[in-house]
Amino acid sequence: MLEIKNLDVAYGHAKALHDISLKIEKGQMAFLIGRNGAGKTTLLKTIIGLLKPKKGSITYQGNEISNLSPEELYLTGLRYVAQEKKVFGNLTVRENIEIAAYASREPIDRTLEKVMSIYPKLKDFLKTKAGQLSGGQRQILLVGRALVGDPKLLLIDEPTQGLAAIVIEDIVKILSGLKDKVSAVIVEQNLAMVNLLADRVHILKEGKIAREIMDKSEISDTRGLEEYL
Amino acid sequence: MIYTILYGFSIGAILYFISIGLSLTFGTMRVINFAHTLTYTIGVYALITLFAFLKGYFVLAAILAVIIVIPISYVIERFIIRRLYGESLDYTFIATFAVSLIGVDAIKWIWGVNPYPMKDPIGEYLMFWGLSLPIYRILIVIIAILLFVALNFFFKKTIVGKIVVAALDDKDGVRCLGINVDKYFSIVFILGSALAALGGVLYAPISSIHPYMGLSILLLSFAVVIVGGMGNLKGTFISAFALGMVMSITARYWSQGAETMVFIVMAIVLIFKPIDI
Amino acid sequence: MPLKNAPMRDYGGIGFLVIAAGFLLITPILSTHRMTDFMIFCIFAMSFDLLYGYMGRLSFGHMLFLGTGAYGAGLFIKYINGNPLLAILVGIVVAGLLGMLLGLIIVRTTGACFALINLAFNHIGFFLVLSPLREITRGEDGFGVSATKLGFLNFGSRPIMFGFVFLCLLLVFYFLKRLTSSPYGIMIRSIKEDETRVRFLGYNTYLYKWLTFVLAGSIAGLAGALTALNYNYVNPNAMDVNSNVGVVFACLIGGAGNLYGALIGGVTYMIISNFLPIYIHRWEMFLGFSLLIITFRFRRGIWGYFQGIWGNIIKNKVIRKPIEGGAADL
Repeated sequence: MLEIKNLDVAYGHAKALHDISLKIEKGQMAFLIGRNGAGKTTLLKTIIGLLKPKKGSITYQGNEISNLSPEELYLTGLRYVAQEKKVFGNLTVRENIEIAAYASREPIDRTLEKVMSIYPKLKDFLKTKAGQLSGGQRQILLVGRALVGDPKLLLIDEPTQGLAAIVIEDIVKILSGLKDKVSAVIVEQNLAMVNLLADRVHILKEGKIAREIMDKSEISDTRGLEEYL
Repeated sequence: MIYTILYGFSIGAILYFISIGLSLTFGTMRVINFAHTLTYTIGVYALITLFAFLKGYFVLAAILAVIIVIPISYVIERFIIRRLYGESLDYTFIATFAVSLIGVDAIKWIWGVNPYPMKDPIGEYLMFWGLSLPIYRILIVIIAILLFVALNFFFKKTIVGKIVVAALDDKDGVRCLGINVDKYFSIVFILGSALAALGGVLYAPISSIHPYMGLSILLLSFAVVIVGGMGNLKGTFISAFALGMVMSITARYWSQGAETMVFIVMAIVLIFKPIDI
Repeated sequence: MPLKNAPMRDYGGIGFLVIAAGFLLITPILSTHRMTDFMIFCIFAMSFDLLYGYMGRLSFGHMLFLGTGAYGAGLFIKYINGNPLLAILVGIVVAGLLGMLLGLIIVRTTGACFALINLAFNHIGFFLVLSPLREITRGEDGFGVSATKLGFLNFGSRPIMFGFVFLCLLLVFYFLKRLTSSPYGIMIRSIKEDETRVRFLGYNTYLYKWLTFVLAGSIAGLAGALTALNYNYVNPNAMDVNSNVGVVFACLIGGAGNLYGALIGGVTYMIISNFLPIYIHRWEMFLGFSLLIITFRFRRGIWGYFQGIWGNIIKNKVIRKPIEGGAADL
């Protein structure tokens, strides 16, 4: 479904990603792990079109997408949830979802229904300004926003970062529910989550792929993975 | 005293019309548009020509003048402003200043340098507490308040408005939701320019008209936007009227110091609350 | 280090002579009086470039310091003492003091904030000499300045004035060249690139910024004092807010962050503003269009453009040599 070949991404003169190649199959949940600064966020941002690669190609559903913009990619089913957990703070939760529904032309009621079914607790917060939500609630809102329309490939950057255990549980639950329905590339430092959900793991180190684990059984060996964080 | 207040409010109203566009352009595109008041000036001169052409129908001439400004602001946005997205502030300053240079020179070329006189189109006064207050100025203030209400409605209740508000918060987030934000920013830019022209058109009969009138009011608008907060709609409204009052009150005691006072206020605000761009 | 940032080898003495020769050559073409004008503007342009090109802060109110220098020197001669050298010193000092005072607050800001707050103070200064201080400054009319003769230094004489300004120009150039090549200069440029990083390295960037601001103001003050002596006259135009566009244009067209660029830009702008209106009626429009072209195409200005060509020439020469470890850096 998604194939990245020999990708080079740089910030000005500073190279962030060197010759990255990886493949994601349909319906799979791939995890990207690595230390801070290894290039995980850069990779996601490049896939969604916020950054342009210096070299290499990104093929999605058979089409070359490395020169497309985020707006164009949205309609193909690509969804991105950034690390910073920024929501539209001045708008209510309902309005946040309204905006998410705008491009996909989905009727707002159906969207709200869908999002509520994933996370019923959001119902109480529909009228609250998104800026007043807690970190965990924001993350849920962001995931909810990403699921509007017809998502095919989710790109999520550190969903559980800074969240309380009980919220993490909720997120894991939501993501497990999506398994096999939606493909995903998820950046995470939380190895327990990786263990639970990953179909494969790609390990990034200093802008290069250090190791790829395609086998579910190997993933359980968390000690082996820890050294890369 | 009442005169001073009315005068202050009417200046404030005009400042509001002009500053809205500047504030929004900055909040959305992060571009400081030095050429913003060019549409203000063009609107005024268009008004003069149309007024003469239409043999004195002020309202019609005013509306047409504002409409004429729209394609011009579209051209400016399309060819200059859009290229300045993400550029360093220095270059946007200089490029937009260049546009203003070109525009002002064009105006001088077409209409000449000499000031045009224009009269208060209503010329009637309201008797209030023994004072005769020019209705025209009162009308300007009313229009400003209506505009504020309308803009509030637009940004709070319409989807386009909400998209702009969202983009002010997190532009990339909106883009990743499949919405071409730049298109909406262009609309905002054109709206802002049209409002500036409206301000010019309304102010023309009670001020002096000359090719550099845009530049003098531009600096004042910058002050309004800085004091009120870039991209902050309510703040711009309040600071426009507040600074209008500052000018009016200063003018009462020290006629030439009005503008300087505004700059002193701006400098003080900048010292205590520097904008970080 | 990327090639385009590689400093041209500091030809030191040669560059100096080239400039001196250059100016002396153009002079017979224009009058000495015009040339003096040009050179004073070049001094102003260099002071502005210190702030804008080297430190990366665009000011839309640098004329404030030129005007302060002009009024400082002029008022000194008018009311206190006709000694021109002292007057110039006073001009520089007053401008410097103003820079010290304003710099304390202004240097904390950056970007548009910096540009606008300078603009605001320029405007305030203009207003002050126009109105409240009218008694002293004679407001809009300005006042005449006639310095006394100091031996052979008669500033009333054009050749003498020319020579003196020429000397000042060379001195300022030499001073700034040494300064910008020194560790101080590197510090300033680093602040322009990434101030946070410099601060994390433990340097007091505020101090360096403030110092640069004061320096730039003082040199502008020198230019102002020289203006007063050159025209024997001072009026609020010395602090005109709109004149800031000239020096911005000059630094842009010449190439910001580069002393040679400031000089080229200064001369170019002077030529344009003095001679273009004669041939092209709508010269301001022309100026506007050129500014647009420069900002969208020739970011590095004329000098930067040539530097780029020079860099390419060197690159071609080096690549022909066998590649050793060091050459790969280029």
